[in-house]
Amino acid sequence: MGERAEVWQGTLALMVLKTLQALRPLHGYGIARRIEQTSGDLLAVNYGTLYPALLKLEQEGYVSSEWGTSDNHRKAKYYKLTRAGRKQLEKETREWEQTTEILARFLAPGKESA
Amino acid sequence: MRKTRAWLLRFEGLFRKARQDRDFSVEMESHLQMHIEDNLRAGMSPAEAYRQALIKLGGIEQTKEIYRDRRGLPLLETLFQDLRFAFRMLRKNPGFTAVAALTLALGIGANTAIFSIVNAMVLRPLPYKDSARIVAFHTKTAMFPNFTLALTWPAFQEVRSQATMLEETAAFWATDRTLTGVDQPEVLRATGVSSGFFEELGGYAQQGRLLSEQDHQPGQNRVAVISDALWRTRFATDSGVIGRKLILDKEVYTIVGVAAKGFAFPERSEIWLPLSLTSEIEQNQKFFRFQVLGRLRKGERLETLQAELATIAQRIAKLDPALGKGYKLSAEPLLESRVHDARQSYLVLLAAATFVLLIACANLTSLLMARSWGRNREMAVRAALGASPGRLQRQGLVESCLLALLGGAVGIALAAGIVQVFRAIAPSGTPRLAEITPDWTLLWFALASSLVSGVVFGLAPARRAARMAPSDALKEGTAGSVTGTSRFGNALVVVEVALAFILLIGSTLMMQTLAHLLHQNPGFRSARLLTFDLPQPPQWNREDSDANATGQIVRLKDMLARVRRLPGVEDVVASDHGILDGMMYEHSGLQLEGALPEQSAVTESVIGRYISPEYFRMLGISLVRGREFAEQDQQGAQRVVMVNEAMARKYWGTLDIVGKRMSVSTDGKGTPQWNEIVGVVANARDVEIQDEATPEFYLALFQWGVGSHHLIVRTQANPDALAGTISRQIWAGYPDQPVRHVMTLTETIAESVGDQRMHTVLLGVFAGVGLMLALLGVYGVVSYSVARRTQEIGVRMALGAARADVLHMVLRQGLTLVAFGAVIGSVAALGAVRVIASELYGVKSSDPWTFSGSAALILIVGCLACWIPARRAMRVDPIVALRYE
Repeated sequence: MGERAEVWQGTLALMVLKTLQALRPLHGYGIARRIEQTSGDLLAVNYGTLYPALLKLEQEGYVSSEWGTSDNHRKAKYYKLTRAGRKQLEKETREWEQTTEILARFLAPGKESA
Repeated sequence: MRKTRAWLLRFEGLFRKARQDRDFSVEMESHLQMHIEDNLRAGMSPAEAYRQALIKLGGIEQTKEIYRDRRGLPLLETLFQDLRFAFRMLRKNPGFTAVAALTLALGIGANTAIFSIVNAMVLRPLPYKDSARIVAFHTKTAMFPNFTLALTWPAFQEVRSQATMLEETAAFWATDRTLTGVDQPEVLRATGVSSGFFEELGGYAQQGRLLSEQDHQPGQNRVAVISDALWRTRFATDSGVIGRKLILDKEVYTIVGVAAKGFAFPERSEIWLPLSLTSEIEQNQKFFRFQVLGRLRKGERLETLQAELATIAQRIAKLDPALGKGYKLSAEPLLESRVHDARQSYLVLLAAATFVLLIACANLTSLLMARSWGRNREMAVRAALGASPGRLQRQGLVESCLLALLGGAVGIALAAGIVQVFRAIAPSGTPRLAEITPDWTLLWFALASSLVSGVVFGLAPARRAARMAPSDALKEGTAGSVTGTSRFGNALVVVEVALAFILLIGSTLMMQTLAHLLHQNPGFRSARLLTFDLPQPPQWNREDSDANATGQIVRLKDMLARVRRLPGVEDVVASDHGILDGMMYEHSGLQLEGALPEQSAVTESVIGRYISPEYFRMLGISLVRGREFAEQDQQGAQRVVMVNEAMARKYWGTLDIVGKRMSVSTDGKGTPQWNEIVGVVANARDVEIQDEATPEFYLALFQWGVGSHHLIVRTQANPDALAGTISRQIWAGYPDQPVRHVMTLTETIAESVGDQRMHTVLLGVFAGVGLMLALLGVYGVVSYSVARRTQEIGVRMALGAARADVLHMVLRQGLTLVAFGAVIGSVAALGAVRVIASELYGVKSSDPWTFSGSAALILIVGCLACWIPARRAMRVDPIVALRYE
C-alpha cells in the first residue's frame, strides 16, 4: 500500500461519505455513478477501487450495509451513513477545507507578502 | 478505537471467507448488470456495453483480490498458510520432528523448571503486605565481626521509638516449645512475638483472632495463635479449637486463633505466643536474640534508614561502653535477608540450564541446516515461482518456531516434573520451599523461551534457504556453498562441545566436593551412632538457679542410665549439642592463664561444648595429654575444662598445659571464674563435617547443667532398629520429655550436606544431558558430512586409499572438532567455575585432574559418536559411490 493509494483512498472515502449523506441509502454502482456525475465527469473512477474503500468504511463503522432490491428488481447491497459516519464526514470536511485553504494560499500568485 | 474495531472485523473475516466471497460475487454481479443496463440505455451494443462495464470496473478478479486483502488480514493469512505447511512438513518427517522436539524439550524443560524455582525463591515478592518495604535488622559487634546477630531488646526499643523512617516495627524470637498432654510430647516451632508482629506482616486469622495489644500486657499473655498446618495435623481441623488449652513446657496457654492458611512466618512456625520477658532480659545489652522487622515509610529509601540506624547505634554504644566501637545496626530488605545464600547457587543452576538450552539450539540449527540441503530443490522451485526471499525466510522461521513450541509443550510437562522432584529432594531448610509450585509464570516462561529459541536456531537455516539463488540450487549442490555451510556447522559443534565441557567440569567439581564431604574422616569412630535431641524448656522463662540445674543433671544422669541398660546399646554419652548438626555455642571473652603473650585475653569467639564423662573414649577421639572428665567432676567440685590440640597450639603454643587455668565467664563483679585444664584431646570434626580443625574447648556438663541435651548412642548392631526402643525407654521414665531428630550419624552427615547434594544432582543431570546433546551434534555433523562425501570417498578408495585411511580421515575430522571444543571449553571453564568456588570443598576450582579427566572423557565419548559414521564411510563401495548421482 503506497502513499498515493492512501491519499487517494482518503479522498475517495470523503466523497463516498458525502454522497451517502445527500442520497441515502445507495448501492455501490450508484455511489460510483454519483461521484462521477458530481465531479462533472472530471474524475474517472475505477469502479473496482470503490469496494475496498466501502469495506474499510464499514469495518470502521462509518457506513452500514444491507441487502435490498434495486429499481429494476435486482438484488443489491445498499450502503447508508451511520451516526459515526456523519460525525466523521463533518470532521473530514473541516480538515479538507483547511487543507485546500492552505494550499490555495500557497498557490495564489503574488500574495506571499500579505 | 475505530481502528481496533476494524482489526477485529478483519480478524473475524478470516473465518468467514466462503460466505463473504459469495456475497461479494453477488454484489459485483449486480453492479455489472446495472452498468450494462445503463450502457444499453445509452445506445451501446450488448457486447460493447459489457466490455465498457468491465473496463470501468478494472477487472473482476483484481477487484476481488484487493477486496479480499482488505477484508481479512493478509499477513495473518500467509502466516496461517505457513503454519499449515509447516505442520505438513513436520508430520511428513515424524522421526526428525520427534528428535528435534525432544532435544528442545530437554533444554526448555530444564530452564523452565529452574526458572520457576528461582522465581519462587528469589524474584517473587514475599507473600506479606507490602513486602517490598519490610526490612530485617542486624547487629554487628566488635566481638563477632564476621557474624550478623539479631538485636537485643533494648536495641529493639530504641529502633522502635527513634527510627522515623519506619511505620511499624515488631520483634520476634523463634524458639522451640514442648507440647505435652496430648499423645506423645512434641516439640513445636514456636515464635514469641512483640506487639505489632501480625500487623507488620499483614497476617489475619481464619478463626478466632490474632494477638492483640491486650495480650502483650504482663499477666495477660498465656494465649496462643496456632498455624493452619498445626490445626490440621494436631487438632484434626477441630472447629471448636478456639478456647482449647495447650500445655507448653508445663505452662497452660489458651488458643485464641488459627492463622490464615499459608501464613508462615518465620518459616514453618507452628505457634505464635506473646513474648514475655524477664526484666533482666529486657535490660540486657548483650542478649542478641530478637529478630526485628520494620516497615519503611512509603517513598523512603533504605539508605536514609541506614544513616538513621548509625546514629541510633552510636547512642546505644555510648550508653553501654562494653559494646565498643564495632557496634553497628543495619537493615536489609526481608527477601534479601532470607535468600542471599541460596541466590548464588540457583543462579549457577539457571546458567547451567541455559547452557543446556543453547546446546539444544545449536543442535537444532545444524539439524535444520543439514535438512535444508535436502530441500534445496523445493526452495528453488518456490523462489522461481515468485516467492520473495522474505517470504521464504518467514516460512523457515514459522517452521522452526512451530518445532520449538512443540518442544516447549513437552518441556512444560518435563519442567513440572522436575519441580515436583525438586520439592521432594530439597533439604527441608530450603527457603520458601512451600511456595515453589508450577504456575502460570512457568507457562509463560516456557512459551517465551520456546519462541526465542525457535528464532535463534531457525534464523541461520532460514536465511540460508532464502538467500539461495534458484539457478544455483536447480543445478546440483555446488561445491563452494557446501564448505561455507559445513564450516558454520563445525563452528556450532565446537561451541556445543565447549558448553558441554564447562558443564562437565562444574558438575565434576561439585561431585568431588560431595564425595569429600561424605567420606571425610570426621576424626572419631562414626559407625553405628544414633543421636537424640532432648529439648529442654527454653531459656526465656527458665529459672537459672543452681537448684534447677541440679534437677536437670539428676534427670539427665538417670536417662543415660536407663538407655545404657537397654540390650543392644553399647555405650551412651551426653552433650549439649548433637554431633555434626552444625550448631554450637561460641564463647567470647575467654581468659587464658599462661597463654602466649598476645593471646591471654581472647578477642574472637571460640566454640565450646558441654559433655558428659567418657565422651572421648566413647567416640574414639584420642586423649593427647592429661585425663578425660570423670564421675568426680561434679557440681561443687573444682570446675574443669579440656581443650583440643588446635586450641592448645594456637593459644599456648604447646600441648603441655594440663594444670593451667582458663575462664569462660565472670561473676557479677567481673572476676574471672577459673576452670582447671585437665586434658588435651585430638582434633575432631564433630560440629561440621566441612570444618578444618578449629579451636574448641570442652566443659563438664554435670558441673553446669545447660539448656539443651543430646544423647549420643553407639549400638551393637543396626542402629535403625534400636531408635524406637530408645525413645520409648526415655518416655517410660519421663512421659513429658520430647525426643527429636532421632537420626543415625549417616543420616546426620547426609543431611548436613543436603544443599550440596541437591545442587550436585541437578548440575550433574544438566551436564549429562548437555554432554549427550553435544555428542548427538557431533554425530549429526560427522555423519552428514560422510553422506555428502560418499562420492569423494569412493574416488579416494578407487585411487587406492585403504579402509583404515578412510576410517582415520573421518575420525580425525570429528575428533578435531571435539578437541577444539574441549580446549575452548576449558579456557572458558577456568573463568566460569570461579562462581562456584565458594561451594567447593576439598578440591580447587582449577583442579588439573578434573580438567584432564573431563577432557579425556569427552574425547572418548566423542570417538564413540564418530565411530558409527566412520564405519559407514569405511564400508563405502567405490563402484556404488562413483555411480552415485
